[in-house]
Amino acid sequence: MVSVAGIGLRAPHLAAVVRDRPETAFLEIHAENYLTPSPALEAVERLRADYAFSVHAVGLSLGSTEGLDNAHLRRIAALVDRLQPTLVSDHLAWSISQGRYLNDLLPLPYTEEAIDVVVRNVDQLQEALGRRIAVENPSCYFSFAHATLSEPTFLSEVVRRSGCGLLLDANNLFVTAQNLRLDPRAWLDGLPVDAVMEYHLAGHAVNDADGEPILIDDHASRVSAPVWSLFGELVERFGPTPTLIEWDADIPPLEVLLDEAASADRLVAEREASAARAA
Amino acid sequence: MPLALRDLQAEMASYLVSGADADILGSIVSDTIPAAARLRIHRHQLYESLATALAGTFSTVQQLVGEAFFHAMARAFVAQTLPAQPVLSEYGEGFPAFIDAYDPARGLPYLADVARLDWALNLAFHSPMGERLTAADLSTIPGEQLSSTKVGLAPGTCVIHSTYPLDRIWSASQPGASMATVDLSEAGIRLLVFRRPDDAVFIALTEVEAVFVAGLAARMSLEDAALAAFADDAGFDLSVTFRRLLDLGVFVALQQ
Repeated sequence: MVSVAGIGLRAPHLAAVVRDRPETAFLEIHAENYLTPSPALEAVERLRADYAFSVHAVGLSLGSTEGLDNAHLRRIAALVDRLQPTLVSDHLAWSISQGRYLNDLLPLPYTEEAIDVVVRNVDQLQEALGRRIAVENPSCYFSFAHATLSEPTFLSEVVRRSGCGLLLDANNLFVTAQNLRLDPRAWLDGLPVDAVMEYHLAGHAVNDADGEPILIDDHASRVSAPVWSLFGELVERFGPTPTLIEWDADIPPLEVLLDEAASADRLVAEREASAARAA
Repeated sequence: MPLALRDLQAEMASYLVSGADADILGSIVSDTIPAAARLRIHRHQLYESLATALAGTFSTVQQLVGEAFFHAMARAFVAQTLPAQPVLSEYGEGFPAFIDAYDPARGLPYLADVARLDWALNLAFHSPMGERLTAADLSTIPGEQLSSTKVGLAPGTCVIHSTYPLDRIWSASQPGASMATVDLSEAGIRLLVFRRPDDAVFIALTEVEAVFVAGLAARMSLEDAALAAFADDAGFDLSVTFRRLLDLGVFVALQQ
């Protein structure tokens, strides 16, 4: 069975990964945690000999009108140069305004004006890194009244104009669809098949918002059944591609992440087998 | 006419920080869940995630005051000072000074110095390890050149001065220990903070050792730093102090 599933490498697991070298398709790190020297960065540099890496940025703020922070961009480029990861990605979101970093992934109004901003920033990022990056669909808790485009239309247009790839997060899609009352399967229609570079899987929580349930993308539990089902749909439509298990809060033992990764691999293998039978 | 994206982002950022009623709510779709309830999720994320980042950097402060007090203090700091960039290990430089002026903490006058120690440990942890000077390296220097040699402190190495017994306070913050055992009227202290391969730590220096280290930090030769220390305290024992610092690994390897 070909493994496509990797895990997010987080501080509580670093020592165990260094010691046990578990089998996994790749390791993912959050770029912003590795931009300064540290024992963790040195450990990752040593792990680089044995693992493929995915560098996932959370703070480039691809949707900021003020453009990318050049100092931050240079540090990201230096990390990418050192680790030579298989994949580099960030989100369709913004987190910086007037030089203030909000440490959150805020959604954009899906308008022509915002497409221009994102495409300009993605162009600058891809030029600085000398490679194609993947842009991830965000978890949305609200939408803008003046949006003129759907999220998938917006993403497709960013891909078309910048040549970037897509990182499809099945959990984010599920969360957004529930919170904004969308059909997640219809959301997938019309996305450029060739652009999909990576999938993300994670858990979410259900909170109360003034008496109504709202889903929170908290990366603090196992992948839920409806998200597994949506992941199956992604694999069917866009084929297997590197798939990340993300877990960022209430982090369980490493074995739990590896078990989730094995589930993703099994699902992909089953889909492939049934596709082969059908052919 | 909808706001230009730049203005919309600025207004939303201000709303997320202040929570004050703003026109931005009119730009958000309100349905069975009102716009304010939807944006509350982002306000929560902003404050909680940054307070959590501060708790990681200032872990000793949190140990001393407890999670609830720390959280309230951290949120007050976040409201006043957002990060200027996305690397959160570099966020919080102003937190010790903020604690100094934070009224609810005025009964804990040593707390800001504890925060300075946490910040120094954080800076040391995020400094390059590089090669360190060893006794074997020193033996390659001819005896007559040794006194004029400049040995550099490893990146991230610094001395924290406090009028409080910070090392005892730090020990009291550890699990199972208690501040009840700390006599705050004890003499102040100088702590040498530095990075090791897997962590960052501190050790206590005597006053004269701190003078010697300050000389080295100012790029004095071994001889000049030792003379400065002798001037401060004629009882300074260069060989004992130098050996101790060498064994701790706080000097960078000599340039080849």
